[in-house]
Amino acid sequence: MRLGACCLLALLLAGCSSGGKDTTAARLRVVVPDNNIREEGVECAGARPFRQVHRGTKFAVEDEDGGVVAEGELPAGRAENADPSIDWGVERIPTVCVMELEVDLPERPRYRFVLPDTVPLEFDAALLERDEPLQLVLSG
Amino acid sequence: MRLLASLAALFVLASCGGGGGETAGGAADLPGPVPAGVEFVAPPGSALAAPDFSAELIDGTPVRASDLWRDRPVVLVFTASYCDRCAEIHRRAAEAVGAHDGAIALLGVVGEDDVDGGRDYADELELGHPVAVASERVWLDYAAREPGLVVLVARGGKVLRGWPGGATVAELRPRLEELIAR
Repeated sequence: MRLGACCLLALLLAGCSSGGKDTTAARLRVVVPDNNIREEGVECAGARPFRQVHRGTKFAVEDEDGGVVAEGELPAGRAENADPSIDWGVERIPTVCVMELEVDLPERPRYRFVLPDTVPLEFDAALLERDEPLQLVLSG
Repeated sequence: MRLLASLAALFVLASCGGGGGETAGGAADLPGPVPAGVEFVAPPGSALAAPDFSAELIDGTPVRASDLWRDRPVVLVFTASYCDRCAEIHRRAAEAVGAHDGAIALLGVVGEDDVDGGRDYADELELGHPVAVASERVWLDYAAREPGLVVLVARGGKVLRGWPGGATVAELRPRLEELIAR
């Protein structure tokens, strides 16, 4: 009986801590707009001038004060049609390299996604509440 | 004292063994002489000159591309440790080149920001062919915008063909066979 009460208490406590929504599981699509010629769907890394963006590149997410709230390494990318409105009619087409990742972010109004030698990308927390992943398009 | 001397000798021997050109992709993997009796077909006159370059192999040995293609055709593979499919591209190139018993050279090329990774990459692949660390200039000269580019250079240094995204063995093999005079 006592064990049962303890389990119930633990469950309630666990429920409380996750219900507070201290963090958001942010789904991000990092788009490298290198327009490189590839087959759609192949593994890719950033092509020139984004050669520094590839699997293993360290990224950070900062809050408005510049404090690092999350960090990690990029996964390998997948090539996607750079302009889906065009039927290129060939296998090797202009593509962008897209890296998808999920990051736990503490609640903040705004964030900044930082990669080496690229312009940091700022985004509002509200954008993370959409159903689809947030798309972050890099610039040189 | 004798024990100490023995340990010191062992240490020295171990050091010599580790540094004596045993690094995968290093000097020990440079090609030997072209096999006797092998003749090469002259490249088309319209072919463009391959940009020459100097680099260091993954073990620090200096290498010059034109020294490699002076005697034989060379397949260059622009690759990277962070590119998973590049390992397969590199393996396929090694398989195609390997059918010619040293008549054709294969040189892997990694970027200057990938020296440590490149060493692990060469070690893991262990293809028996050299891997060089080349500057951004070299990547630019060969329009290697992304790792995974294969370039075929004829003996004498003319670019015959490039395969961005890699070439299959079936694509490479006939192109290599065409280079050898029967």
